[in-house]
Amino acid sequence: MRTNSFLGILWHTIFILTVFILIFPIIFALGTSFKPLQEVYNNVLNIIPIAPTFDNYIGLFERLPMIQITMNTFTIATVVTIMKMLISFLAAYAFVYFDFKGKKFIYFIFIASIFIPFTVTMIPNYLIMSSWGLADSIFGVILPQISDAIGILLINQTMRSIPFSLIESARIDNISHSRIMIDIILPLIRPQLMSTGIWFFVNSWNEFVWPSLMLKSVDSYTLPLALQMFISAEGGTDLSVAMAVSIVTMIIPLLLYLVFQKYIIGTFTASGIK
Amino acid sequence: MNKNNTLHLNKINMKPWLFLTPVFIMFSLFVFWPLLYTFYLSFFDWNMVSPTKTFVGIDNYISVLTNPTTYKIFLNTLFFIGILLLINLVVPYIFAFVLHLILNRLKGFYKTAIFLPAFISLVVGSILFTWILNPISGPIAEIAGWFGIQLPIWSQTEGLVIVVISLITSWKVFGYNFIMLYASISGISEEIIEAARLDGVPLHRIFLDIILPVSSSAGVYILIMTIVQGLQFVYTPISVITQGGPNYASSNLIYQSYNEGFILYRTGHSAALSIMTLLVFAILLLIEFKFVERGVHYEN
Repeated sequence: MRTNSFLGILWHTIFILTVFILIFPIIFALGTSFKPLQEVYNNVLNIIPIAPTFDNYIGLFERLPMIQITMNTFTIATVVTIMKMLISFLAAYAFVYFDFKGKKFIYFIFIASIFIPFTVTMIPNYLIMSSWGLADSIFGVILPQISDAIGILLINQTMRSIPFSLIESARIDNISHSRIMIDIILPLIRPQLMSTGIWFFVNSWNEFVWPSLMLKSVDSYTLPLALQMFISAEGGTDLSVAMAVSIVTMIIPLLLYLVFQKYIIGTFTASGIK
Repeated sequence: MNKNNTLHLNKINMKPWLFLTPVFIMFSLFVFWPLLYTFYLSFFDWNMVSPTKTFVGIDNYISVLTNPTTYKIFLNTLFFIGILLLINLVVPYIFAFVLHLILNRLKGFYKTAIFLPAFISLVVGSILFTWILNPISGPIAEIAGWFGIQLPIWSQTEGLVIVVISLITSWKVFGYNFIMLYASISGISEEIIEAARLDGVPLHRIFLDIILPVSSSAGVYILIMTIVQGLQFVYTPISVITQGGPNYASSNLIYQSYNEGFILYRTGHSAALSIMTLLVFAILLLIEFKFVERGVHYEN
C-alpha cells in the first residue's frame, strides 16, 4: 500500500518518540545503577557514567539477602506457573472435549471470576493463610495466585484451534485421555503454551499486591518488595542502589521477553489472547 | 459450546468432573469461599483480630455511603478511569490503525518495543518514573530548569497526582492493549480497506466507518479490561509512592478498601466497599458477555 510520505514521516516520528518514552527509563536505570552516588545528582542527564562502578550492586548484596530474595521470587513464579498451567490445561480439556450438565454455566462462573477485584478476596485469604500458619511464607503467596481463570480462558481458546476430528478419531481408536493430552495436544500447541507459561511466570515474578500483604520479613521478600523499600516520593538518598535493584528485578523478565518475543507476540496476536 | 463439537463417546461418564476437580478445589478455597466470607463480613463490625464480631446489618454500607471521603474517592476513581481509557484505549486504537495501514517499515520493531514494558514490574515503573519526574533533582526537572521552569511537586498536588500515577500505570498497560487491538485490526480483510482507499475515502473515515465497527468486540473487551484491571494496577504506584495521599487525593475504590482493611482495621468497611466495587465490575462483566464473549468464543 502506498502512503503519502509526509504522513509516513509524521507517524514514524510519533512512534519513535513513543518508543523512546517507553524504553528510555530502562536505559536510564541501567546507566544510573553504575554511577557513584554523587554522580547520580551531579551528572543527571548523562546516561553513561563518567566513573562507572559496581559499588551499588556490591552494596546491595551486602545490605539485603539478595540471593535468598531472588530465589524466593523464582520459586514462587515457577510453582505458580506450573500449577496454573496444569490445572488450567485439565479444565480446558474438560470444557473443550466433553459435554456435561451445567458446562456453560460452570464456564461462565470461572470466566466471571476474572472480574472479581482482589480487594474482595484479600481479607479472607489473609485469614486463611494466617490460620494455616502460612503468613510470611512463600506458600502463602503461591496458593491464591494459582486460582486464576485467565489460564482456563487462554488454554481453552488455544485448544479450540486443534481440528476436532483429530481428537475424536484418537478416542475411537481407544487412545487414553492422558496419551491424547501428552502425545497429540501438547506437541500441537507447544508454542502457544510456552508463551502462556512465560506470561504467567513474568506476571507472578512481578506481582506486588498479594506478596506485600503476606510477606513481612526481609528473608521471605520477593524482588518487587525489596525494591519497594527504596522508594520515596522525594527520590531518597539510595537512588543508585534503587536503580541496581530495579535492574536485578527486571533482568529475568526482560531476557525471557527478548529471547522469546517472536513466539510471544505471535501467540498474542494470532490466537487473540485476550 | 456446540453439542456436535464434543466427544459423544464420553457423554455419560465422570471424566470431565475428574479433570475439573483441581480447579474446583483451588477456586473454592481461594476465590469463591473468600467472596462469600467477605460478603458475610460486610455485615459485621470487626477489626480482624478481636475474637468477637458484632452483627450491624447494613450499617457498614450506610456509613461508607454517607462518608464524604467515599465521594472524593469515587470521583477520583472516575478520573483514573477517564485518563486510563484515553491513554490506553483511544491512543493505542489509533496507533494500531496507523501501524497497520500507514507505516510499512519497522513494524516488527515497533511492536516489540511498545510491548516490552508489559513484562516489567509496576514497582520498577514506579521507582523509575518517581526519579525521572522528580520535581527537584530529576532529569526532566533539570531540563526544565534551563528554561527557568519549576516543576510542580506532583505527589503533593491534588488532581495532578492522579494524572502522574495513571501515566506510570499506562507505561505498563499501553503496549498490551496496543498489541491486542493491532491483532484485531490486522485481521480485517485487506480488500475492504483497499477498495475504500481506491475510492478516495479519507483515512479518518476508514477508521471510523470500517475499522471501529469491525473490531468493536476487541474494542469493548479492551475498554472493560482497562477499567477492571487498570483500577487494580494503579494500586501498586499508589501504594509505593503516595499511600493514597495527600488527603485521599490519589486513592481509589481499590486502594481505599485496602486502607480500611489493613491500615485502619475496619474490616466491615473494607468488605462493604469491596462488595460495592464488585457490583460495579459485575455490570461491566454483563456488558462484556453481551458484546464480546459471544463473538470471541464461537468463532475460531
